[in-house]
Amino acid sequence: MTKTMHLRIVTPQEVLLDEDVRSVQFMGIDGSYGILPGHAPLMTATEPGVVTIKYEDDRREELMVSDGFAEMRNNTLTLVCEAGTFAEKIDLERARAAEARAREHLAQRGSLSSEELLRAEAALRRALVRQRLGRRRGGTGSIH
Amino acid sequence: MANIKELRGRITSVTNIAKITKAMEMVASMKLRKVQARTMAFKPYTREIRGQMSHLAEFVGQDAVLPLFVAREVKTTGIFVVTSDRGLCGAYNSNMMLKVTNYVREVKAQHPDRKFKFYVYGKKGYSYLYRRDYEIERFFAEPPLDKAGYPAAKMVVEDLVTAFQGGGIDEVLVGHTAFESAARFAPNLEPFLPLTSAPEPGIDSEHRMRLDYLLEPDAETVLNRMVPRFLETVIYDAMLSSFASEQAARRMAMKGATDAAGRMGKELRQIYNRARQESITKELLDIIGGAAAVS
Repeated sequence: MTKTMHLRIVTPQEVLLDEDVRSVQFMGIDGSYGILPGHAPLMTATEPGVVTIKYEDDRREELMVSDGFAEMRNNTLTLVCEAGTFAEKIDLERARAAEARAREHLAQRGSLSSEELLRAEAALRRALVRQRLGRRRGGTGSIH
Repeated sequence: MANIKELRGRITSVTNIAKITKAMEMVASMKLRKVQARTMAFKPYTREIRGQMSHLAEFVGQDAVLPLFVAREVKTTGIFVVTSDRGLCGAYNSNMMLKVTNYVREVKAQHPDRKFKFYVYGKKGYSYLYRRDYEIERFFAEPPLDKAGYPAAKMVVEDLVTAFQGGGIDEVLVGHTAFESAARFAPNLEPFLPLTSAPEPGIDSEHRMRLDYLLEPDAETVLNRMVPRFLETVIYDAMLSSFASEQAARRMAMKGATDAAGRMGKELRQIYNRARQESITKELLDIIGGAAAVS
């Protein structure tokens, strides 16, 4: 059994990560996935959420991604997402402001079209995940 | 000496033109550098989305039926083509439009009844088609390409998909200028809709046999998420690489113009100096001749 696998995280702006890792956890469309080296070929859509990576040297890293797709093939896991941010780069202030904005939007839900409503809800979810992740780095709160 | 005066005027205008084209060359260089970085950064993403889509597409038909994959008899072809809003970029626009119109001519030779409807990005392509009496279904004037982001691509996709599903067009082709590098870009016309489940070239059949995927939760769910994303990515890539190609083409054209103006200015200056020298010599001869006559 191979000990490591390759992880690539690709966004429209850049290739965020291209490294050998020991395990990856991410949110799939139908629940949480944990992928270990040598996993069978797999493909799924992913939800906005946290990706937890364990490197070869047991270092852990977390990043927040928006929705996208995951493909496991030839011992390489490729996450293709719209956007991604490493936990240490999350701007808590901005996330809080985004949350406030989204809540404000949702408060007037009567006047929103269904698409606007969906978008506001997605924005709120993103802001909350971002904050949880940002706080966790600070040592308070938990992800799940 | 009207000739000398005229020459002087021409030298001034040629040097002025050189200054303008030089400035335009530099502006295009700057824009190119910016958009080139974006285009290159987008490439891995496009590649991954295209790759995953082609793997997924193999499940269509066996596990999922989707309207965008169903090919039907083609009566009307829709062509989405990306051109520039501004000229002075060499053969950039005419290369793209030639590619498209040649294609139309070829198809018409075989299927005289085939109709074509155009979806155009960029004023140049629009006026080209308009002047030649092609049927333009939609002209995207806003947002201009340099400001166009994902939402613009989404808008285009919605238009094309609606027309395709409504039966207004039976297939869609995308024409754009593929950007390889600042010196390599070429017009390209490729099928867009209906989506095909044909395997991507380069993946050999033995390899494909081994692609025994787990699809979670099922093929249809993943495809429903993937298809819109895929279509938008293809269109956005077309717009982005066309814009990069436009800047590269303009830079090359303006560099050519600046060089040509420089050469021309040099030649004119030589002619001017010769003429000036001649007139001085003539004047001197007159004076000397006059002095000789007096003494």
